[in-house]
Amino acid sequence: MIELIRQVEDLFNQHLTPGYTFDTRINKWNVATAWVRLSSSEQLLPAATSIKQVGGRLHTISAYQRVEGKPSEIHEIAYHFDLDGATLTITVLLADGQRDIPSLTPVFHNADWNEREFMELYDINAVGHPNPTRLFIDENIDAAVLQKFIPFSDMVNAASTKSLWEKIMQQRGEKQ
Amino acid sequence: MTRYQMPVGPLHVALEEPMYFKLDLEGETIKGLHISAGHVHRGMEYLVMKRNFYQNITLTERICSLCSNSHPTTFCMALEEIGGIAVPPRGHYLRVIADEIKRVASNLFNVGIMAHIIGFTSLFMHVLETREIVQDIKETLYGNRMDLGANCIGGVKYNLNAESIAYLIKRLNEIAPAVEEIHRIYSTHSSILTRTRGVGVLPNAIALEYGLIGPVARASGVEYDVRAKTPYAIYPELDFATMTRPDGDVWSRAMVRLDEVKVAIDLIRQCLAQLPEGPVAVPGLPTIPAGEAVAKTEAPRGELIYYLRTNGSDMPERLKWRVPSYPNWDALPVMMQDNTVADVALIVNSIDPCISCTER
Repeated sequence: MIELIRQVEDLFNQHLTPGYTFDTRINKWNVATAWVRLSSSEQLLPAATSIKQVGGRLHTISAYQRVEGKPSEIHEIAYHFDLDGATLTITVLLADGQRDIPSLTPVFHNADWNEREFMELYDINAVGHPNPTRLFIDENIDAAVLQKFIPFSDMVNAASTKSLWEKIMQQRGEKQ
Repeated sequence: MTRYQMPVGPLHVALEEPMYFKLDLEGETIKGLHISAGHVHRGMEYLVMKRNFYQNITLTERICSLCSNSHPTTFCMALEEIGGIAVPPRGHYLRVIADEIKRVASNLFNVGIMAHIIGFTSLFMHVLETREIVQDIKETLYGNRMDLGANCIGGVKYNLNAESIAYLIKRLNEIAPAVEEIHRIYSTHSSILTRTRGVGVLPNAIALEYGLIGPVARASGVEYDVRAKTPYAIYPELDFATMTRPDGDVWSRAMVRLDEVKVAIDLIRQCLAQLPEGPVAVPGLPTIPAGEAVAKTEAPRGELIYYLRTNGSDMPERLKWRVPSYPNWDALPVMMQDNTVADVALIVNSIDPCISCTER
């Protein structure tokens, strides 16, 4: 398990421009996880190609807004790969206003849905995606809609509420 | 021959949940498939960021019903990794028992539905009757037939005593011969074999290229089971094999699930035989520091992965999960190519899809 991580680290040393970090953890079950932080999104494709070269598989992709006090317009994307049981996570920071990231779908077939999902939920563009259509959200709805139009959720902080029920009871003149 | 398109779904008698397929047909032969998702997208990943860790144990259990226990188990594992929390040995055993009970029920449900789709109603009833024993076990041990409420951070919230262990063994002794008989029928009955062998074939190379997982991949000869590849809980101390089949058709996928039911029953028995004494969880409500972790388990449908990012507060900064059904949808266009319209529901069911899980 750890051997594959070492192979990937060697390939990164050969093919990636310096500036990234590479940390490895091993838990009590002897399961290794590696955590890589890239300094630029241009390193992403060479990194993914190196992982493919050693037989890695894409697990999934997690895009998110950086939260420092409150959600910002700065996004990060974490790419999770399987290396025969070990997990390698590559995190890429998208600077303020940066919306483009290279698509991994030409390298890993199963990046397709993951990238379409973050395109519609975060309005980040996977450049080079072969089929950049909507996945879950209808075409008529703007991308990153949860970040823009959440008045009700903002108001109730996504909690359940009795307000509507109480208003109806009040209008009907019924006891609350 | 004229080519035309045919819609299937989003509401369809053979699909338990809504999914919309557009088939490209040449006569009755399928030449292409387009999948349109999103009918039960609930924004749950947004919602979990508005709840604290303890509330999210309850919420994640409600992502899906059939693999409900795998979600809080994996979520708790991610929290425990960040918090450096060591689950007591008995807690690990009880987690595995809960997960394997759910696997028996989930896999039996899927192969039962397969019998229903091909019109073998008496077999469908027989399988579901056997599964009903598992439902009884869940209700008796956990108080619920679907959501077990078994997990907490640092262990589990339930315990087994001599009486409940004796009950569980008694019911397992009823299930085991029934599963053997079901296994034999699925292996040999001509109604099953003629309708499912050679249908919806997924070649091994495509399973690997598409990154498919779980029984779907294992039925195409991909030997990958998280319990063996990424050991967790007490799986390294248990004796089990990874079930694979070489042919990649609808039948092979059903057989892998039945094979895994037998393995799961055996794993529960091993756990009960080795169950150590001691606490079932760490005491108190642990505080989770800032950090990030990935946790993986083998849910009934395959590899379930959770990514958790915390910032020192009691709410996740990001909680993302990728369910086994998510990548497996990709296999359908390959499986359906050159099959007939009559097999659409059968092939869809053979990937044991969970749409609530996929769309969240």
